[in-house]
Amino acid sequence: MTLFSTRGLVKQFGSLRATDDVSIEVAPNEVHALIGPNGAGKSTLVNLISGMLPADGGSIVLDGVDLTGMPPHKRVRAGLSRCFQVTNLFKKATVLSNLMLAVQSHRGSSFLPLGRRDGEAELIERAVALAGRVGLGSELDRIAGSLPHGAQRQLDVALALAANPKLLLLDEPMAGMGPDESARMVELIQLLRRDMAILLIEHDMDAVFRLADRISVLVYGKVLASGNAEQIKSHPEVQAVYLGSEVEA
Amino acid sequence: MDSIFIIEQLINGIGYGLMLFLLAAGLTLVFGVMDTMNLAHGTLFMFGAYIAATVHEASHSFLAAVLCGVLVTMLIGALLEVTLMRRLYKRNHLNQVVATFGVILLADDFVKWMWGASPIMASTPAALAGPVQLLPDLPYPSYRLLILVAGVVAALALYVVVNHTRLGMLVRAGASDRPMAELMGVRVQSVFTLVFVIGAALAGVAGALMGPLTSVQIGMGEGILIPALVVIVIGGIGSVRGSFVAAMLVGVVDTAGRAFVPPLLREVMAPALAADVGPALAGIAMYVLMAVVLCFKPGGLFPARG
Amino acid sequence: MSMTTKETNPMAVAGPALVLLGLAVFPAVAPHFGLDYYTGFVMRMLIVMLIATSLNYLMGYGGMVALGHAGFVGVGAYALVAMTEAGVTNAWALWGGAMLAAAVAALLIGAVSLRTKGVYFIMITLAFAQMLYYLAVSLRVYGGDDGYNLYSRPVLGFGLDAADDATLYWVVLAVCAACFLFFHRSVGSRFGQALVGIRDNESRMMALGYPVFLLKLQAFVIAAAVAGLGGALMVTQNSFISPSSMHWSQSAVLIVIVVLGGLGHRWGGVIGAAVWVSLEETLRMSTEYWHWPLGALLITIILFAPEGLGALFHRSPAGKGEGRGGIFYLLRRSA
Repeated sequence: MTLFSTRGLVKQFGSLRATDDVSIEVAPNEVHALIGPNGAGKSTLVNLISGMLPADGGSIVLDGVDLTGMPPHKRVRAGLSRCFQVTNLFKKATVLSNLMLAVQSHRGSSFLPLGRRDGEAELIERAVALAGRVGLGSELDRIAGSLPHGAQRQLDVALALAANPKLLLLDEPMAGMGPDESARMVELIQLLRRDMAILLIEHDMDAVFRLADRISVLVYGKVLASGNAEQIKSHPEVQAVYLGSEVEA
Repeated sequence: MDSIFIIEQLINGIGYGLMLFLLAAGLTLVFGVMDTMNLAHGTLFMFGAYIAATVHEASHSFLAAVLCGVLVTMLIGALLEVTLMRRLYKRNHLNQVVATFGVILLADDFVKWMWGASPIMASTPAALAGPVQLLPDLPYPSYRLLILVAGVVAALALYVVVNHTRLGMLVRAGASDRPMAELMGVRVQSVFTLVFVIGAALAGVAGALMGPLTSVQIGMGEGILIPALVVIVIGGIGSVRGSFVAAMLVGVVDTAGRAFVPPLLREVMAPALAADVGPALAGIAMYVLMAVVLCFKPGGLFPARG
Repeated sequence: MSMTTKETNPMAVAGPALVLLGLAVFPAVAPHFGLDYYTGFVMRMLIVMLIATSLNYLMGYGGMVALGHAGFVGVGAYALVAMTEAGVTNAWALWGGAMLAAAVAALLIGAVSLRTKGVYFIMITLAFAQMLYYLAVSLRVYGGDDGYNLYSRPVLGFGLDAADDATLYWVVLAVCAACFLFFHRSVGSRFGQALVGIRDNESRMMALGYPVFLLKLQAFVIAAAVAGLGGALMVTQNSFISPSSMHWSQSAVLIVIVVLGGLGHRWGGVIGAAVWVSLEETLRMSTEYWHWPLGALLITIILFAPEGLGALFHRSPAGKGEGRGGIFYLLRRSA
């Protein structure tokens, strides 16, 4: 059973084919990890899937709905939510304001120019619940930009969760984290997978092997191999181009 | 409307386009390298025109007039850079727009105090008063021809500087990747000053040359600033090559609009209506061009930065 | 970003209330001091405040720097003229119609312009405003270049006499106050909060599922409608409109007023317009060289208080982080 799939996704930048016939699938409640060396086209793929870049060919389907050609915000409404590789928050606002803005997007209209948003109890309630879910329940009044790096990434995830996504797209959530922070993020992802499928782009191989049900290796814009952790570790071509010593260690 | 008239107007358009390019090049360099919007660029153009006209009147030497116009404009540019502009480079565009709008207000009053409120005469050099026979049936004012030649020479000089010197390399790097340029540029500050002064020199040349064709008056800078801004936006901000292409386009479209649209309209509609609509359409032509370009290419024809 | 901060400072409420009271009694008091002339002057200032506030909403909260706002002022003004020619005399209908006309123009212009960003947006809004300017110049029926004279003021109804300057003044004051209140409230609304979010981080808003383009378009249309109302009020007061009031330099002056007063500051448009219009008036009457002091003021403000005059009084409610600029900053730095 497939929740999400891309079929023959293509993106061309001039003479460079950044995404070359990429087909991947994610099953419900599955964590599908996407790995690959720098410049393999992971970021391009994320932008194609989330709609920040238009694809030159191929299709994207989530839960029976064709997302191809949809603008980014409609994909979010359809159940595809993303985090950013570089933490992308409203840095000058509090954690609570950040979350309320995220919740507001999915509750009622944002075109009403009157009425006090901050007085809406339901928004506050849901925002507080989200904070609790990612472990930021005690940081509601902190300015987002002043949080430690790991907590900022947790907030980034919480913002994406406000949409109640069917598929969560995590773009290197562990980047720049210390071991403690990474461990907390792994825990969080384990928790989230009960409620949604996750497409995880990550460099941290320990985390990938612990979390992923399935791993796809992207090289030069192409999917080189796809399989479970054991299959990927033992795949000769993958070892040659990418994993090498890391797997031996 | 015969073909001679059309050819003549096209040449006029190219001449105007070249002058626009001299201004736009300075604007787009300052934008590309320093990420700075300078509305006072038209003011430098105005100073070039006023000083050249004054020196020409006093010395009767057109060459001396242009040289003085350019040199003094460069000095004014340097002064402006050192006292104000370098404090604005790190600011947002809105701050830059407002501060340089302030410079326009200061400069306009200064010119009024120095030269009076009414326009001054800038005469064409006596030697270039007559026409040149370009084609058997096409006499062309020799002064306009000089502008054409001077414009081409200045554009070529700029091309050489941008593409074949170390300064040009920094300029190109700065337009496409500023942090990289900052790493490369040992003395970023002096490169900035130099770029600004080069822009001032080009504006001064354009002002000194255009003076005899237009009236030398307060507000002439703002009058040409808008078309120059249109040019850099169509070309893609930061791209000298884009500015050149766009300047030719705008020069020809604007001149052609003024020359051809009213007579064409008279052929298809009532004279009274044509007299109303003609000038309006002519005035709008370059803005329509810009809107259409931005509609299809929101970053201009040659986007210098992604 | 959030507007949750309660107004603890009594001055924050009392100040504006006092100013409003002062403005309300002004036309009644002015004749006793021989200041009749200034009733018209203050009315003009109020209208500029209204237009500047609408631009501040767009620029300060929406992050959209538009260099064509005077174009919408003109659309409102000419719409009023056109409706008057067509026989409409009721002021409220005329003003409403002017707002609608400006809103429709903004809907079309915004739908194209909002595809661009930054300097390109500045320039494309300029381009459309220039098109409107040349359109007005070509409208010979409404006077073309020379402008158009309205022969009688519209009818206010409710027993109010628009021909009386003081009466019109109070109506204008009430309309402006209502608009200020709307903008003020709007910032704390769902829409206002989404708008500020877009200003601060557009890509994240998109990823949160916001229809960013449509939200920006709505802000653009609201700001233009109020600018159109300002234009209509202007013609009502002056009985005159000419294309020169749509010239790009007028749009530039509006931007200058907003930055001078404080971009994204609640009172930015009001303070900026008050300072600019008063200075212009006094300088023009006292010297032939009345441009340079304004220029010097702008440069000084940008260099030493880039958040505008509004930030000198209190912190920007738009919460643009640590206030670099403003008198507190200067004091801290010199201490």
